[in-house]
Amino acid sequence: MKRPLTATAGILAVGLTVSACGGSEPAADADGVVDLTLGTWASTSAPEFQLLVDDFNASHDDVEVSIQEYDTDNYETQMTADLSAGAAPDLYAQKTVSAFVTYQSGGQLLDVSDVADGLDEHVAGLGSWQVDGSTWAVPFRQDSWFLFYNRDLFDAAGVDYPDGTWTWDDYAEVAQQISDGTDADGAYQHTWQSALQGFANNQTPGADLLSGDYGYLKPYYERALALQDGGAQVDYGTATTNSLTYQAQFGKQKAAMMPMGSWYVATLLAQQADGEADDFAWGLAPAPQLDESTLDEPVTFGDPTSIGVNAAIDEGKVDAAKEFLSYVASEDAAVALAEIGITPAYQSDAVTEAYFGADGAPTDELSRQTFQVHDTRPENPVDPKIATVQTIMGDLHSAVMSESTSIDDAIAEAEQRAANEAGITG
Amino acid sequence: MATTTSTTAPAPAPARGARRPGARLKRRNALIGWTFVLPNFLGFAVLTLIPVIAVFYLSLTGWNVFGQAPWVGLDNFTRMLGDASFHRALLNTLYYSGLHIPLTLVASLGLALLLNQKLRGVAFFRTAAFFPYITSMVAIAVVWNMLFSPETGPINQFLDLFGIDGPGWTTSATWAMPAVVLVGVWREMGYFMVLFLAGLQTIPRELYEAGRMDGAGAWQRFWNITLPSLRPTMFFVTVILTIGSLKVLDLILLLTDGGPGQSTLVLSQYIYKKGFVENDFGYASAVSVALFLLCLVVTAVQFVINRRRQD
Repeated sequence: MKRPLTATAGILAVGLTVSACGGSEPAADADGVVDLTLGTWASTSAPEFQLLVDDFNASHDDVEVSIQEYDTDNYETQMTADLSAGAAPDLYAQKTVSAFVTYQSGGQLLDVSDVADGLDEHVAGLGSWQVDGSTWAVPFRQDSWFLFYNRDLFDAAGVDYPDGTWTWDDYAEVAQQISDGTDADGAYQHTWQSALQGFANNQTPGADLLSGDYGYLKPYYERALALQDGGAQVDYGTATTNSLTYQAQFGKQKAAMMPMGSWYVATLLAQQADGEADDFAWGLAPAPQLDESTLDEPVTFGDPTSIGVNAAIDEGKVDAAKEFLSYVASEDAAVALAEIGITPAYQSDAVTEAYFGADGAPTDELSRQTFQVHDTRPENPVDPKIATVQTIMGDLHSAVMSESTSIDDAIAEAEQRAANEAGITG
Repeated sequence: MATTTSTTAPAPAPARGARRPGARLKRRNALIGWTFVLPNFLGFAVLTLIPVIAVFYLSLTGWNVFGQAPWVGLDNFTRMLGDASFHRALLNTLYYSGLHIPLTLVASLGLALLLNQKLRGVAFFRTAAFFPYITSMVAIAVVWNMLFSPETGPINQFLDLFGIDGPGWTTSATWAMPAVVLVGVWREMGYFMVLFLAGLQTIPRELYEAGRMDGAGAWQRFWNITLPSLRPTMFFVTVILTIGSLKVLDLILLLTDGGPGQSTLVLSQYIYKKGFVENDFGYASAVSVALFLLCLVVTAVQFVINRRRQD
C-alpha cells in the first residue's frame, strides 16, 4: 500500500533534495561566451537536436549550446520534476501540446512573442504554442499524417495508385480489393487512438474534442470495424495482444497502405537501407478525406514540436536563448533537418528539395505534392482539460476497436465522462 | 540538547549521577542503538515517511506540480464521491482482489501440499513453480498477451479443438479481468507456495501419526491438522496477498493498460493517470489516501479476526 503513495509523492522528495543543489551561474564565462543548456529526449531517437545545436554553435561564436538529455519515455515526468525543483535547463523541447499547457499555465515558460513576430509566414504550427495572445515556444518540426502506400503491392493486385483525390470510402474499397487480390492486408491502422480520431477530429466540420459531443466519430469507427471484419485490416485485438509495430507491418509488406505520421519517412528510409525493412517501392499520398470538398488542400493533423525558454533562465542569457530559437525556425535549419528526413516547421521549395533528395526517397510527383500541400491542424487543442479528455477518448478507442462495446454505447459513455470528469457538456 | 545541558551544568550533574549510576551507560547504549538504526531510518524517512505524510497534505490541495498548492479542503474527497471513473476503478480493484486472493491461496496451498511429498525431483518442481515469480513482468505480459490473442493465440486454438469458441480474453471487456487474474495467480502462486512449504515443515509429524491412529482419513487430517496448524502462515499470506491485490499495478499496466475501455482500470492505475498523465496531483493524492485507508481497514479487520481465532 505504500508504493502508489510513494510514487505520487516521490517527486516531492526528489524536488526537495535537488533544489538544494541548483544555483545560478554567471551569464557569460571569462571569454564572453554564453553557455546555454537545451533539454531534449534521447538523441538516439531524435537526431535533430544534435544537428540543430551543432549547426548553431558552428555559426555563433558568442553562444555555446549544449544538450541535457532526458529519457524519451519519461521525458515529461522528468522535466516536470526538474522544473519544479528549479534544476531544469535554460531551454527545453516541447514534446506534446498537452504537456506544454501544463508548463505554460504553471508559469514555467518565458514569453517569446518577440521571436515569433520576427519569423516569416513559412513557419507552420505557431498557433499550437500561443496562449492569451502570446507565443510561448517556437516550433522547428511539424509532422503531418499522410498515407504511406506500397507501390509493389498495388501493382501485384492490379490496383491503381492513389491519385490524391481519395475519400475514406475510396480508401476502404481499395484496401478490400488489395487484400482480396494479394496475400497482404489492404491496410494497417495502428493501435493509437490518434490513427483514427486525429482524422475524425480535424476533418469533420464542427468536430471539437472540447465540445463534449462525440457523435462525429461514428462513421470513422464504422469504416474501421468494417475493414477489420472484412479481413482487409488486422484486428485491433491481434495488434495489441501481439504487440505489432507499424514499422514491421508496412516495412515487411504485411499491409499495402498505412496512415502514419511523416516521422516514419526517415525510419523507413533507414530501415530499407540497412535491410530491417524489405526493399520495395513506396510513395506518399494525402490523407484520405471525409468528402470531396477538401481535396484541394487535404486536411490532416499532427502536433508540432517546439522549443521553449525556461522562465527561470538567468536574465543575461535571454537574448542568446532567443537567438537560438530564431535559428531553429529558420530556413537554414529547416534544410538541414529535411536532409535527414525530418519534416521542418519551415516549409519552402528548398526544404522539399532537400527532403526528397535523400537516397531511397520516393520520386513521384504525388509524394512531393503530398509533402508540400496540406492543411495540417493540431492534433490537440491548447486547453488544460485536454489531458483528461484524451484519457477518456483513449478508453473509447480501445472499447470500440476491440468490439467489446458498441460504437453508440462507447460514445455515450465518453460524453458522460467528459461532463463528469472534465466538466464539458455537449 | 538534553545531553549538553546536563554535562555543562556543573552542580546538578554529579548529584544526578550519584542518584542513578547507570543513567550514563543507558544513554550511551541508546545512542549506539540509534546510530545503528539511523542509516536505514534516514532512507525510510526521506523516501517513504515524508512523502507519505506529504500525500495526506497534498490530498487537501489542488496541487498541479508547479507553484503553490491551493488549499481546497475536502473538495477532492467530495469529488471522489461523484466520480464515476473512481467508482469503476474501486469496483474493478475489489473484483480483481475478490478473484485473485482466494484463487492464489488455493493454488499456492495446493502446490505446497503436492510438493511437500517425497517425490522424485521435487526440488526441480519447486524451482519450476517459483520461476514465474522471478521472471520479468514485461516478458510475462508480452508472452501471455500472445497466448491470449483472440485469433492467433494458442489458448483459443486449443479451445477450438474441443469446439469451444474462445473469448477475446484481454481484448474483451468481460474476459479481460479474469485473464489478468489468471496471469496474476500463475505469477504469484510460486512465491506463496514457498511460504506455505515453510509452514508445512513446522507441523509436527506426531500429529499426523496420532490422527492416523484415530482413523482420520486424508481429508480429515488436512482439515483438522494441517489447516489449523498453518494458521499463522495463512494469516501472513492472506495479509500480504490482500495488500498486494489492492494495489496491483504492473500486471494491469502491461497486460491491458486498463482496457478495453475501463474494464480493467484499477485504483493504482487511476492514481497514476490522474497524477502523472493529467498532472492533477492533488486529486491523485486524495485517491491514494482512499486506497491507503482501504488497505488499512481490510488489514485491521484481518488482524481482529486472527486474534479472535487465536483466543
